[in-house]
Amino acid sequence: MADRSFDIARLPGFATIAVTIFVLLYLPIAMLVIFSFNAGDNVAIWEGFSLRWYPEAWANEAVKQATWRSLQIATCAAIIATTVATMAALGTTRRRQTRGQSFVYLMINQPLMVPEIVTAVALLIFFSSIKVATGYQGLGYLILAHAAFCIPFAYLPIRARLEGMDLSLETASADLYATRWQTFRHVTLPLVMPGAIAGLMLAFVTSLDDVVITLFVKSAGQDTLPTYMLAQIRRSVSAEVNAISTLLLLLTVVLLTAFFLLTRKRT
Amino acid sequence: MPEDTAVEVRDARKVYGQGAGAVTALDGVSLGIRKSEFFTLLGPSGCGKTTLLKLIAGFESPTTGQILLHGSDITFDPPNLRPVNTVFQSYALFPHLSVADNIGFGLKMQGRPKSEISETVTRMLALVRLDAMADRKPGQLSGGQQQRVALARALAPSPKVLLLDEPLSALDLQLRKEMQIELKRLQIETGITFVFVTHDQEEALTMSDRIGVMQSGHLLQVGDPRTIYTRPANRFVASFIGESNFLTGTVDGNVFTLDAGPRMEVGQTDGAPATGKVTAAIRPEQIRITSATLGDGIPATVTQTVYFGTDTHCRVALADGTEITVRLQSPASGDVGLHPGSEVTLKFEPGALILLPKAA
Repeated sequence: MADRSFDIARLPGFATIAVTIFVLLYLPIAMLVIFSFNAGDNVAIWEGFSLRWYPEAWANEAVKQATWRSLQIATCAAIIATTVATMAALGTTRRRQTRGQSFVYLMINQPLMVPEIVTAVALLIFFSSIKVATGYQGLGYLILAHAAFCIPFAYLPIRARLEGMDLSLETASADLYATRWQTFRHVTLPLVMPGAIAGLMLAFVTSLDDVVITLFVKSAGQDTLPTYMLAQIRRSVSAEVNAISTLLLLLTVVLLTAFFLLTRKRT
Repeated sequence: MPEDTAVEVRDARKVYGQGAGAVTALDGVSLGIRKSEFFTLLGPSGCGKTTLLKLIAGFESPTTGQILLHGSDITFDPPNLRPVNTVFQSYALFPHLSVADNIGFGLKMQGRPKSEISETVTRMLALVRLDAMADRKPGQLSGGQQQRVALARALAPSPKVLLLDEPLSALDLQLRKEMQIELKRLQIETGITFVFVTHDQEEALTMSDRIGVMQSGHLLQVGDPRTIYTRPANRFVASFIGESNFLTGTVDGNVFTLDAGPRMEVGQTDGAPATGKVTAAIRPEQIRITSATLGDGIPATVTQTVYFGTDTHCRVALADGTEITVRLQSPASGDVGLHPGSEVTLKFEPGALILLPKAA
């Protein structure tokens, strides 16, 4: 009690504001989860507990296809983004700092700052000219687009991981008779791995729930789970969407918990 | 080149950068380090001692000059092809590997058989007294233990030369003293040539067989600790290693006349001019002080006394105003009986006065 040092938690109204914000953040999500167990068709009136929407959503062929497509895109895009981000992070942290370093950071993190809609339109125009030239209509465009905006999400945890590491580790490895390849294989790679896995998961989650860029880039019949849900909701509000959202939420929570545990370990 | 030379540096120059911003880290250094000796490169930060170490390790190549290891030119060999290992200032232990795997790293990279690696690792763990820590990760060890792992890791592949880059600077005083003894023991037991870099003159004096004193990219003097301390080659060496008082005067043969008055005989005059103006150095502990103002000796006035426990440092002013320090052993009472203003006489053996070469 005698401690009179500044503590933000003791300011008047702190608790009220904090509680209000948490309610605003989580109440809608809680509602969504609760109504995914609603027995009735209506998303606003509770008619009793039921699990009917889960098997119903799963029985829907369109949902299955969109889910499969989303997973394919997210997996490929996350792997590409993580590979590129790992190389970028190694290039920006495992050597002496040079002039123009912050410019490089800015370039790598560009997708975080450019409005998504601008990227979406730019990619739409860019990919249409390629489509005309090559005739290729597949998922490749979506994968590349997702990989591009996922790079900064993968880059940040990898860079954070590498920045804390002594620059002389690779020098020590070379001093102990390791070739460049051996140094990468036995020193750099094992050290970057936890960061890379964290980056991979973050990129995966980011890709999985993207709507704006996907809407612009996708060809007809290339609905991902989020764009499918958007289309469903435009037509009629269906409790099936609640069930899918709840499952997506569950997947995200699992991945982000794993991300948290991985980045916290051994630091 | 003599048979017993482990490392020979021939006229090495290292310039960083180009044009107006170029920095000369090493300015023509030549040096021979003998096999199985504990050689220390001593100098203030920025003197080029770490650069010289990097040239021997292969982390840098000289702008001009040559590096020879046991007679063969290794100037442009990459570090992984040199039978030379380094103990880094930051230790640079691999955080993801256990203590045993850290120590065995060099042997594993050389492709040695597993049985040989585990045998050597066991031997190294015993050598640095860390047998119980084999399975720990470096992050779970204290600073002193990490230091021992770094040593064991560098010694495990039996290098021809072990380089140590200020390895004790991160340790506290007590531990540093222990490690100094430990390092010397390891060097004698393994018989490996140690090249030790430090800015700590006490560390250099206590551990080394020979010391090379560096300043501004030049090697000023190479010699055993006693020679470096008692016969410093110039003013910088005299003041960097231990404390020195500097007196100016005129020399004529073996008679030195102080600017402050008295004349005295000097012992050795090697390197110093036979006649003319010179600077002489004298160690504070070599001067005796008497309160009598009679007889021969240098008259002086006490200006300040500082009690250091075992010693008492006494600042005295000579007739011409030159201030020098005299170190006295503190008596049992703790009071040397001198006070500012006391008239005293200073005396010393002729051999204690070191005449320094002119350009110093």
